[in-house]
Amino acid sequence: MIHVSHLVKTIQGQMILDDISFDVARAEILVVLGESGAGKSVLLKHLIGLLKPDKGVIEIEGRDITKLSEEELLRQRQQMGYLFQEGALYDFMNVFDNLAFPLREHTSFDSRMIAIKVEEILKMVGLEAAKHKYPSELSGGMRKRVGLARAMIMDAKILLCDEPTSGLDPIRSRDISDLIRQVSRRYQCATVITSHDIDNAFRIADRIAIIQQGKIVIIGTPQALKSSENHFVQEFIS
Amino acid sequence: MKQITNRFFLVVSQMGDAIYFLMDVLRNIFKGRVRFNEVLKQSYEQGWQSAVIVALTSFASGAVLALQGHVVLSRLGAKEYIAQLVALSLLREMSPVFTAIIFSAKAGARITAELGTMSVNDQILATRTMGVDPMEFLVVPRFLACFLVLPILTLISEIVGILGGYFIGVYQANIPGVFYINQTINAVRFVDFFSGFIKVFFFAILIGWICCSRGFTTKGGSLGVGKYTTEAVAQSIILVIIFNTILTKIILTFWG
Repeated sequence: MIHVSHLVKTIQGQMILDDISFDVARAEILVVLGESGAGKSVLLKHLIGLLKPDKGVIEIEGRDITKLSEEELLRQRQQMGYLFQEGALYDFMNVFDNLAFPLREHTSFDSRMIAIKVEEILKMVGLEAAKHKYPSELSGGMRKRVGLARAMIMDAKILLCDEPTSGLDPIRSRDISDLIRQVSRRYQCATVITSHDIDNAFRIADRIAIIQQGKIVIIGTPQALKSSENHFVQEFIS
Repeated sequence: MKQITNRFFLVVSQMGDAIYFLMDVLRNIFKGRVRFNEVLKQSYEQGWQSAVIVALTSFASGAVLALQGHVVLSRLGAKEYIAQLVALSLLREMSPVFTAIIFSAKAGARITAELGTMSVNDQILATRTMGVDPMEFLVVPRFLACFLVLPILTLISEIVGILGGYFIGVYQANIPGVFYINQTINAVRFVDFFSGFIKVFFFAILIGWICCSRGFTTKGGSLGVGKYTTEAVAQSIILVIIFNTILTKIILTFWG
């Protein structure tokens, strides 16, 4: 579903992504690990077309999104979900309206249908009681759950999560990681997660990629990483 | 020297970005991508926020003009011209400029702070990731609301300012009320109203453009929001004053 080939990005003379290639299949979870500034967030922004690469190909369901205009990208993104670090919920809307927003924008659902859909997804993320709350009234973990619900409300085929466990305690980190895995399995979507969180990466990933200075050092199953003899990989995951 | 060169290129680059931003806003408007409900919502919020303060300052301005006019014109034995002085000063110059300045400080600051907060909290990026153009959803309604609200506020300012002058003219200068009203009506020609009022539309574009573009491009967390907001308000006010001079010269050249 996602095919990235020889992706190169330079920002202000600094190589951020250096010949990145990988694939992610339907219902697969790829966790991209790396130090701060390694290029993880930049990679994710390329996958949703917020940044254009200097070179390389990014195919989403066989369509090279690097060649699309902004208007075509807007349409493409309706099939994709993006979970931001802090949720990025509209602070002038309550939880219900935040979740209803993509449906009101892109579907012809009436208000009853929208309410059913929102209730259903709120139940999935365990926040039925919070639908009338505003983002400022929610905890960090709750905001991420709502952010995940919003990312998936259009039944996205691609889910991209930027540092979903950052700023959370270990229990909440595990909960949100498990929720992402559950959502990914339920919707059968190709999921790419960037993270620093080694423990949760090993819990939920089908494959893990480690990036160092814009290059993929290793990509493989959690078991393959554990048995790697690469010094940086061992130092990073230990 | 290097610092000056860098600063120069930074300013040129920012101006280029701002012009591109305005073109993008206008492109959306001319393509009909206008959410009328959002425009009305923003107009209500911007208008309501500024209306009371515009009315208060305008009443005070009209009253002060009349007070000063009473003193100066009485020396010349021409105190009956207070009504003309107040009406023409307000309509031709003071109401459009004062209203634009107050609007920059209240509604302009609000626009930049709102968009700036959304920018630093990734809400603008999130809008794009949901397949919605943030220009259409967030910027165009605020920009058009400026265009809608500022002329209405200017009209309020002119009416309330004249009332302020009337209050002083009648109760301080002892000019009969009916005479004061007739003097005002007879003094004001269409060109007096038009020459001031037309400037308001330029000011609305300037304020909407600067405050939206600064908010939309805000970086640097909460500190950035404060910095960009104060810069936007200062730039709007300076540009309103500069453009007022240019527009006044052009208008006087053609319509005297």
